[in-house]
Amino acid sequence: MKAIITICLKELKETLRDRRTMLAMIIIPILVFPLILGLTSMISHSFDEKSKNDTFQIALITKDPGNDFAVRFLQLSDSLGPKKVFFYTNEVIPDSLIMSDSIQLAIVIPADFESAQNTMQTAEIQLFYKETNLGARQRAQTYLGVIEAQYKAERLMQLELPVEKLTPLAMTYHNLSSPKEMIGKYVGGFLPYLFIIFGFIGCLYPAIDLFTGEKERKTLETLLTAPVERWKMLIGKMLVVVFSGLLAAISAMIGLYIAIEHMNFISDVALMDTIYSILNLKFILLLFLLLIPLTIFFAGVMIPITVHANSFKEAQSILTPINFLVILPAMVGFIPGIELSYATAFIPIVNVVLASKELMAETLSPILLIITFLTMVIFAGIAVLFSYKRFGREKSIIN
Amino acid sequence: MIELTNVSKHFQLSGKQKKELATTQDFATAVDQLSFTCHPGRVFSLLGPNGAGKTTTLRMIATLLQPTSGEIKVNGLSTTEHPNKVRASIGFLTGSTGLYERLTPNELITYFGKLHGMEHSTIERRKSNLYDLLDVHEFQNKRIGKLSTGMRQKVSICRTMIHDPEVVIFDEPTSGLDVITAKNIIQLIGDCKAQGKTVIFSSHIMSEVDLLCDDLAIIHKGKLLFNDTLDAFKSSMTTDGLTSEFIHLIENAEKQ
Repeated sequence: MKAIITICLKELKETLRDRRTMLAMIIIPILVFPLILGLTSMISHSFDEKSKNDTFQIALITKDPGNDFAVRFLQLSDSLGPKKVFFYTNEVIPDSLIMSDSIQLAIVIPADFESAQNTMQTAEIQLFYKETNLGARQRAQTYLGVIEAQYKAERLMQLELPVEKLTPLAMTYHNLSSPKEMIGKYVGGFLPYLFIIFGFIGCLYPAIDLFTGEKERKTLETLLTAPVERWKMLIGKMLVVVFSGLLAAISAMIGLYIAIEHMNFISDVALMDTIYSILNLKFILLLFLLLIPLTIFFAGVMIPITVHANSFKEAQSILTPINFLVILPAMVGFIPGIELSYATAFIPIVNVVLASKELMAETLSPILLIITFLTMVIFAGIAVLFSYKRFGREKSIIN
Repeated sequence: MIELTNVSKHFQLSGKQKKELATTQDFATAVDQLSFTCHPGRVFSLLGPNGAGKTTTLRMIATLLQPTSGEIKVNGLSTTEHPNKVRASIGFLTGSTGLYERLTPNELITYFGKLHGMEHSTIERRKSNLYDLLDVHEFQNKRIGKLSTGMRQKVSICRTMIHDPEVVIFDEPTSGLDVITAKNIIQLIGDCKAQGKTVIFSSHIMSEVDLLCDDLAIIHKGKLLFNDTLDAFKSSMTTDGLTSEFIHLIENAEKQ
């Protein structure tokens, strides 16, 4: 045990002195979420502001600029979005106005518009816009929705029909899912995904550094001259790889917390309260219960590869495609309808993602939690055993 | 004491290696039925051209590799049955035993002292003696990555000797070093002999062999060509120098 601790502490010291590993393990995971969320929030905020305050250049194409539609259109409040209206005669081709970018929305009012209204017929309004001109369609729907509602109300009055007569059903939906369940089921896949990706990346560089790096720098032969069993060397090094993976995942969580807390990404106070109530001590402990064997499993998968590789480049080129094999099952959490069951609880990585979602929603069955945990422990054990076999091979460790 | 009895080592060849060596054999023989003995208080030289099997032999003695057949005993202990006890009694220094560049000499030597199960006070005492001997005090707390080749070699020597091993193995210890740094190694080998340690070293440099060794073995393609004292080797020489006699022996072996 003393030798394992000695090796572990020395490897940890060396790992913490490596800038590349520190970047992958702490700095990038902490910065990535404040940066991504901050940037996204800034862009979407500025877009919202822009689309709300942009003055739209609108063409009303009609033979009679004084028709009822045009009058009502001009009377629309600027709170629906500021606009500048230009009148055109029917000879104008709306496409050319839109394509020349001088106009963002062209509305063609038919000649029989007023007669259609007077006889309670349907008048066809044609709208021309570019879908790539973000917000144009929404703005048109808002303007025309108000005018249509006015006409509808007037027709009902003329027909002396109360609104209820045309409203046979009044539906009220009662959502019985708790806010925690909603978050757990819909966005809950994100948190374990985050842990898995950063946990994997966090393991990656130390695994390469502590095994392939030792071979490359010719220090492994030095270490092997010490009177310590190889399995103790393996465990001492593996503990550092696992610790690095967990540290990277925790750093990503800290980064996410900073982003949520200090970057006003979520403005809904009730949603914030729900998020805080999910992130309680029990949740964090149970999450770690699942993440520890998962990270050991990652380390166990990586070590035989890093032991086999003769250079940092070779190890990286083999491990990069494996990264995708981890990302794909981790993304299962985003697919709606796939839940933790007696089948999915036996699939490594997928089970941790689904169990974490259930954990967040507070709907996790204890039996499925135990199955998930034991499955991961068994897979981690197999991976460690495989690592031990590879680390024990003369060919793998001595060039 | 180191005793080798009919030791052989075969390496399995990969498809790529078979192509490179233009062979259909599944195994390559690095060491073939090798037997010799190194005695305490004497310096034993293992000589041979590149690829003769010197490094493989020394790695087997140091328990880094296991013999395919035969037996190696270090101080009466089998290297396959008691590898840990054997390693505890060995100091192994080669050109391929690198140093941890992110550690300082102090940290590295303490680390190896701890791996040898030494007490903190013993480590400190041994460190102090070795630092005095090799003049390491000045750079003991600098990162190894920033040290010169000579300084690194001194640190390597401290690492090899921290646990005061009874058996010392040097695999081409002066290869690639300048004369001043090489002098430290030669001095160390002389000191080890004086302290009654068993010393085995491989080298290409005949002047070093002439200066230091008492006994020698010459191997070629894994097979033993000569094994006796240096004096016996000199008296049986048919040429006028150690180097020319060595070349003569190897060329004769090639012809057979």
